[in-house]
Amino acid sequence: MRLKKPAITVLDWVLLAVILGFLTYVVYRLFFALNYKWNWAVIPTYLLRFDGETQGWKANILLEGFFTTIKLSVWATLLAALLGFAIGLCRVSPRLFLRMTGRTYVESIRNTPPLVLVFIFYYFVSDQLLALAGLEELARAATGTGRTLLAFFFAEPNLINQFFSGVLTLALFQGAYIAEIVRAGIQAIDTGQWEAGKSIGLTRWQLLRRIILPQATRIMLPPLAGEFINTIKWSSIVSIISIQELTFQGLQVMASTHAAIEVWLTISVMYLVPCLGLSLCVRRLERAFAGEDRAGQTVPQFPSY
Amino acid sequence: MKPIQSALLTIIFGIAALCIGSNATAATPQQELAAASTIEAVKQRGVLKVGMDIFQPWAMKDKTGKLIGFEIDVATRLAEDMGVKVEFVPTAWSGIIPALLTGKFDVIIGGMGITAQRALQVNFSNPYDYSGMGIVAHKTLAAGFDSLESFNRPDVQIAVKLGTSAAAAAKKFIPKATLRQFDTEPQAYQELRNGKVHAVVGSAPRPAFEAVEYADSLFLPIKGTFTQEPIGFALRKGDPDSLAFFNSWITIVSMEGWLKERHDYWFAGKAWAGMVE
Repeated sequence: MRLKKPAITVLDWVLLAVILGFLTYVVYRLFFALNYKWNWAVIPTYLLRFDGETQGWKANILLEGFFTTIKLSVWATLLAALLGFAIGLCRVSPRLFLRMTGRTYVESIRNTPPLVLVFIFYYFVSDQLLALAGLEELARAATGTGRTLLAFFFAEPNLINQFFSGVLTLALFQGAYIAEIVRAGIQAIDTGQWEAGKSIGLTRWQLLRRIILPQATRIMLPPLAGEFINTIKWSSIVSIISIQELTFQGLQVMASTHAAIEVWLTISVMYLVPCLGLSLCVRRLERAFAGEDRAGQTVPQFPSY
Repeated sequence: MKPIQSALLTIIFGIAALCIGSNATAATPQQELAAASTIEAVKQRGVLKVGMDIFQPWAMKDKTGKLIGFEIDVATRLAEDMGVKVEFVPTAWSGIIPALLTGKFDVIIGGMGITAQRALQVNFSNPYDYSGMGIVAHKTLAAGFDSLESFNRPDVQIAVKLGTSAAAAAKKFIPKATLRQFDTEPQAYQELRNGKVHAVVGSAPRPAFEAVEYADSLFLPIKGTFTQEPIGFALRKGDPDSLAFFNSWITIVSMEGWLKERHDYWFAGKAWAGMVE
C-alpha cells in the first residue's frame, strides 16, 4: 500500500508563483516600460470592415489572410498526402531503386532549412511549372459562377499563380514528412500479416491494398492530422515569397500603421485558435483509436509536436 | 523567247516572289521587338501588373483593405491612361527585383530610388519624383549629435530597412558606424525607441513623423534630408518601347502639374492619416 500523494504539492505552488511572476514582469515591461504608443484601435478595422456598397460587414485583410492560410494549408496537405503516400510506398518497396529515390527525397528535404527550401522551390520549381500550366490565363478567362468558385476555393485570378506556387512549395516540403509517417505506419504492421497474405497467394499489390494499408492507415491518421496542424504553422513561412497569407497581410498592416506589436499579438492568436482546436481533436482521435485496439496489442504512439 | 532568257526571267521572278513572300511572313527585327514589348502584353491582357511594397506614404493599406498612397495614385493614373486595369502585386522589398526579372509583374512602381547598382539589373524610367534620406535619433543616446559626422563612429549603431537606398546612404555617409538591418521599417524604428540604436536612417517623411510622434524620446539631428534621390519606374532590360512609353507618360503628367499636386498631398502633410489609423 502506497501513501496517496496530494495532487499538487507545495513545490508546485512555488513554481507556479515563479512562472506567474515572470509573466507579469514581461507583460508589465511590454505595456508600461516599453517606449511604444499602443494603438489597438487599428486591429478591429483590419479584421472586419463595414462595406458601404453592400451595407454589410466584410472580412478585411487580416481575416482574408487567415482564410488564405486555411485554404493554402488544406490544398497543400491534400497534395502532400498524395505525394507522401507515393514516396512512403517507395520507401518500403522491395526495389532498391525506388527505396533510394524515396530516401533521397525525404533526406534532402528533412535536412535543409525550410526557409532555404521555400526560396529554391519558389524561384526554380514552381515558377517554371506554373508558367507551363498557363493557370492565370485560364483563371482570367473564367466568368460568372466559375470565377466565384475559383476565388472561393483558391484565389482571385491575379493571385492564382502565387497561390499555387505557395501550395506547391508547402506540399513538396510537407510531402517528405508525410512520407515518413506512411513508412512508419506500414512498417508498424506485424510481419506475420505479410507472411499470411503471401501464403494464400496474394500479389504484393493485393496484399498492400487489402491487408496492410487498411490497418496502417488507421495508425497513420492521428499523426497525419497532426501534420495538417504543422502545415498551418509552416504556411507562415511562405510570407517571404509574398504569398498573401496571414503573416504577410500582418506585415502589410504593420508597415501601413506602424502598430507592430498589436498586429503580431493578433496574428499569434489567430494561429493559436485553429491549431489548438485541431490539436485537441487529434488527441481525441488518438484516444478513440487506442481504445479500439485489443488489449495486449501495442500501438505505436507518435509524438504530436 | 529564247530558252536562256526564259530561264533567266524565271529565276528573276522566282527571287522576286521569294522576297515578297518572305516579307509578308517574317517581320523585321524592329517589328518583332515591338510585338514582344511589355506594353503590348499589357494591352492584350487588359491588366497592368505593378510590383510594390508597403512604405508610408508611398503605399499603404487603408482601413477598407484598399491600397492608397502616392505610388498607388501614380500607377492607377498610368493604367487609366493606357486604357487598362491596374493590379498591384505587394512584394517583400528584399526580393522585389528578382520578382520583376522572373516576370511576376510588368513594372515596379514603388518609390524605388535610382542607383547605379540597381540600374545594372533593371532599366529605370526618367525620375518622376525625388526623395531624400532623413535621420532621426535617440535623445539620450545621441545627445548633442548635430551632424552626420557626429554619428560616424564605430560605437554608434544605425538601424535601416534591408535592401533599401537608406541602407546604401547610411553606408556612404556614415561609413564608420555599425549598421543594423531589419526586414521591415517598424522593426527599425522600434529598435530606436527601445534605445538599442542611436538613430534610424530612412526615406523622408517617415523620420520626421517619428520625431513628432515620439517627441519625448526622439529628435531630428539634422533638419530636412541629407540626400537627394531620383525615383523611377523599374522595368526589365531589353524593352525600349515600354521604357519610351513610361518616359513619355512621366513627361506629360509632370508638365500638367499633376505629379507635384499628388506629391504635396502625400508628403507635405498628414491629411491622409485618418485613412489608415
